[in-house]
Amino acid sequence: MLRYIARRLLGVIPVLFGLSIVLFAFVHLLPGDPAVALLGQHATPERTAAIRELLGLDKPLHEQYLLYLSDILRGDFGKSVIDNRLVVDEFLLRFPGTVELTVAALIFAVGIGIPLGRLAARHVQGWPDGAVTVVSLLGVSIPIFVLGLTLQVIFAVKLKWLPASGRIDPRLGIDAVTNFMLLDTLLAGKPAAFVDALKHLVLPAIALGSIPLAIVTRITRAAVLDVANEDYVRTARAKGLKERRVDDRHIMRNAWLPVTTVIGLQVGGLLAGAVITETVFAWNGVGAWVVDAIQNHDYLVVQNAILLFALIFIVVNLVVDIGYAYLNPRIRYS
Amino acid sequence: MALLDVDDLVVRFRTHEGTIHAVNGVSFELEEGETLGLVGESGCGKSVTNLAVMRLLPKPAGKVEGGRVIFDGQDLLALPEREMREVRGRDIAMIFQDPMTSLNPVLTIEEQMVETIRAHRQVSVADARQRAVELLSMVGIPHPADRLKSYPHQFSGGMRQRVMIAMALALEPKLLIADEPTTALDVTIQAQVLELLRDLTERAGTAVIVITHDLGVVAGITQRLNVMYAGHIVEAGTTDALFERPSHPYTVGLLHSIPRLDAPPGEKLIPIEGVPPDQRRAPTGCPFAPRCAWRLEVCWTEMPPLEPVDGSAEVVLSGPRASHRVACHNRPTADEARAGRPLRPGFVPAPPPGDVVDELVAAEGAVEEELVVFDDSGAPATALPGAHGLPQSPEEGEQR
Amino acid sequence: MSAVTVAARPVPARASRGLWRDALRRLLRNRPALVGFFFIGIFVLAALLAPVIAPYDPLAGRLVDRLKPPSAEHIMGTDLQGRDEFSRILYGARVSLQVGVVSVVLGLLMGGTIGALAGGIGGRVDTILMRVVDVLLAIPGILLAIGIVAWLDRGLFQIMLAVAATNAPIFARLLRGSLLALRESDFVIAARSIGASSPRLLFRHLLPNALTPLIVQATLALATAIIDVAGLGFLGLGPPDPRTAEWGTMLTDSTKFLHQAQHLIFFPGLAIVISAIGFNLLGDGLRESLDPRLRR
Repeated sequence: MLRYIARRLLGVIPVLFGLSIVLFAFVHLLPGDPAVALLGQHATPERTAAIRELLGLDKPLHEQYLLYLSDILRGDFGKSVIDNRLVVDEFLLRFPGTVELTVAALIFAVGIGIPLGRLAARHVQGWPDGAVTVVSLLGVSIPIFVLGLTLQVIFAVKLKWLPASGRIDPRLGIDAVTNFMLLDTLLAGKPAAFVDALKHLVLPAIALGSIPLAIVTRITRAAVLDVANEDYVRTARAKGLKERRVDDRHIMRNAWLPVTTVIGLQVGGLLAGAVITETVFAWNGVGAWVVDAIQNHDYLVVQNAILLFALIFIVVNLVVDIGYAYLNPRIRYS
Repeated sequence: MALLDVDDLVVRFRTHEGTIHAVNGVSFELEEGETLGLVGESGCGKSVTNLAVMRLLPKPAGKVEGGRVIFDGQDLLALPEREMREVRGRDIAMIFQDPMTSLNPVLTIEEQMVETIRAHRQVSVADARQRAVELLSMVGIPHPADRLKSYPHQFSGGMRQRVMIAMALALEPKLLIADEPTTALDVTIQAQVLELLRDLTERAGTAVIVITHDLGVVAGITQRLNVMYAGHIVEAGTTDALFERPSHPYTVGLLHSIPRLDAPPGEKLIPIEGVPPDQRRAPTGCPFAPRCAWRLEVCWTEMPPLEPVDGSAEVVLSGPRASHRVACHNRPTADEARAGRPLRPGFVPAPPPGDVVDELVAAEGAVEEELVVFDDSGAPATALPGAHGLPQSPEEGEQR
Repeated sequence: MSAVTVAARPVPARASRGLWRDALRRLLRNRPALVGFFFIGIFVLAALLAPVIAPYDPLAGRLVDRLKPPSAEHIMGTDLQGRDEFSRILYGARVSLQVGVVSVVLGLLMGGTIGALAGGIGGRVDTILMRVVDVLLAIPGILLAIGIVAWLDRGLFQIMLAVAATNAPIFARLLRGSLLALRESDFVIAARSIGASSPRLLFRHLLPNALTPLIVQATLALATAIIDVAGLGFLGLGPPDPRTAEWGTMLTDSTKFLHQAQHLIFFPGLAIVISAIGFNLLGDGLRESLDPRLRR
């Protein structure tokens, strides 16, 4: 098992290396003078000179790359050309918001998707199966921003059950400590604020979770049907086990393998989807920040935010793969 | 009273390609402690018969459409599911063909054995584990206590089948159904596993049904045989009687297509020409007629009843004195059975009547069949161009 | 294998019928796929016939008519600048169809080339190309697209390129995977051993089998391409001319008027969903009919 983890960790290095090259190219191959392109409308002779100095733009390309690489390895991700804030600081400030949203969406998708998939598999080709098929088709076909706007219109504008945007009612005056709003409200000892934060979370989480919900439902259904035809399931029944036990232990334990892999793959999609969800719901997270940066042509922020994003994505996938190996004894012992 | 009494069992599968007539009125009995072989090609209904007895037919396609199954005085087909579950594993246990796929790959042997025991007996986990160790050592697995923690893939094929046997015998069932128990194993391991199976069941007095396509497997371990073809029992009797005097052309064909050590030198294997009939159509006549060298005109239209070979009125259904019965309009004589072909001068198998030919030609998706017979070395021994036949029904692949 | 095994080998009597005709026959019997065809039909017709059907100029409107709810005159109402929403939806289909198709074809070309090289040559080329693919897949799709549009500046072609780049690594991996699996598969080894020539092997055995997953993926990718294009538009990275009727851009404009003009969210949203559903249904139908093993 340890050897397996070590091997997977080593496999990540070339990917990270390649990623740094791509992102380096992204900024340094910008059309025209990179310094001017980076600064855009904020370009003044002094600032242009400063950024040339900072990025070593007058040095040969490979030296520029080495400079960039050593900066990253030292944890220096540069700063915004607009407000001079450090990218790392800003990222850490906003990342909890994205995590909160992503985790909530994942809980929604998995918590509903797996039971739905099992239901469909149990009544295969019956009406529950048909209904589930339609729901999952809609899930993958409705873009996040369409669903998000629709949810806002229905639940915030018309029914007024839930807030339309933001992470919390600013009038509640919650201090940012961890930047996880659910945690901060509890730390502040205000249960009412906690409920308010939770309410703000519902619509964005549903909008973001709809695609993974559809995919998790589909894969669960397929995996359960697949495993249900296996010989060992017949053996389990022939042993006289209760149907519940056959389901939970013999079918689900095996169906979990493809399901976890797919859930892991969804995390990347969720991070990507968060970019749009945060924009729709004015959610203060990394995604909305990146979109702002792009619209402001703040390329250094874009470059390094994408790098940090991808880094997290890679780590998550790694964790999923290791979890998969743990669940599957055939990999664990090989 | 017999331990198991299967009476006129009819099983059909509803599929998108139509209804498959898998089992068409099968009856047989089994005494306590008796060993019965069910023999036939893939798709002849031998596995389906037993899955029907266990009520484990694939849902929702497979359905018992007629007949009764009386086990130990209880009508299994009428039992509520909860009580049927008690019967499974405790009173009737099963071993399947492929020990590779019949054990759950993500659960340890211990988990799988302990849950079997605890599903039927109120014992502690520790006691169940103790029993599992005993069982594993009984089937000859070295270091049983250590091996309990292993996963199925850590055992060899033969060892895995031993684990299956241990698990099946865990609750001392009255009946053990072994479905192709050695087909997936190496030839060298087959004999060991069969011997183990015979020893353990003999000692415990367990009745056994062995399902196989391989007459070599059943020869040594069964007392009686039922030969099945296309969902019918075509010949039944004691193993000795069937081997000595096969009376159905199909049984004759089966015996002539196995290499025998006692055969005179130079004797050729005779393959059975053609393929089993399309079971999507309701049976008319004897299902073996299209492939039969002895067929008469009546064979095309009328299914012969299963009758005692000696013509006596008294029929014994089970036990060592079981009647030798056969369902055939034109039984091969002893000499013909030995020769493997009709010896009557001038005899020609009856051509199919007109309407049957039409049906054969009109059948949708007709395919050309080539029959290849492999000998032990795996090389084709004979290849015969077949007549236009019909596609085999996709049933449970017993020869995987 | 013990004693004697009798094996029947079916030889298809009508070999000329072939995989593709079989697949087509199954596809035409697949009800969801037909519904998909129907939706795609609406979408394509709207795009092609927009100039004929559209009752108004999609780019011009009178401010006095702004934010009108649906009525007999304007069946989908009017937008912020008083333009007819129905006409804009029709013209929007042109943008989505054009950008969607071109970006998927571009992605197929890029990914297909990478995949064929990697799977075909193998060795070091394979390792390097697949590392590149890993890197691209490490960046969440829409973020990659956003990055590319931001980098190359706004424009229709840039959008196509961006969406193509998000699809290309998926196509590459798919084609390489099936090529590798096929090269090792029993039936190709069998075909080779009976002396099938290399081109024959490639065209009759390898390609049809490698293409089917690619075709399915391309159809599904059309659905995501339409969604991604609208997504870019929604984020303000749509076509450079702000007057262009593009569904995503149209949605952004209306977010400020959630209370007054819900029809401006409903209709563009519906248009996107219908076209995405169409391609998703067709893709699933294709998957089922192209893979004979999946027949139920």
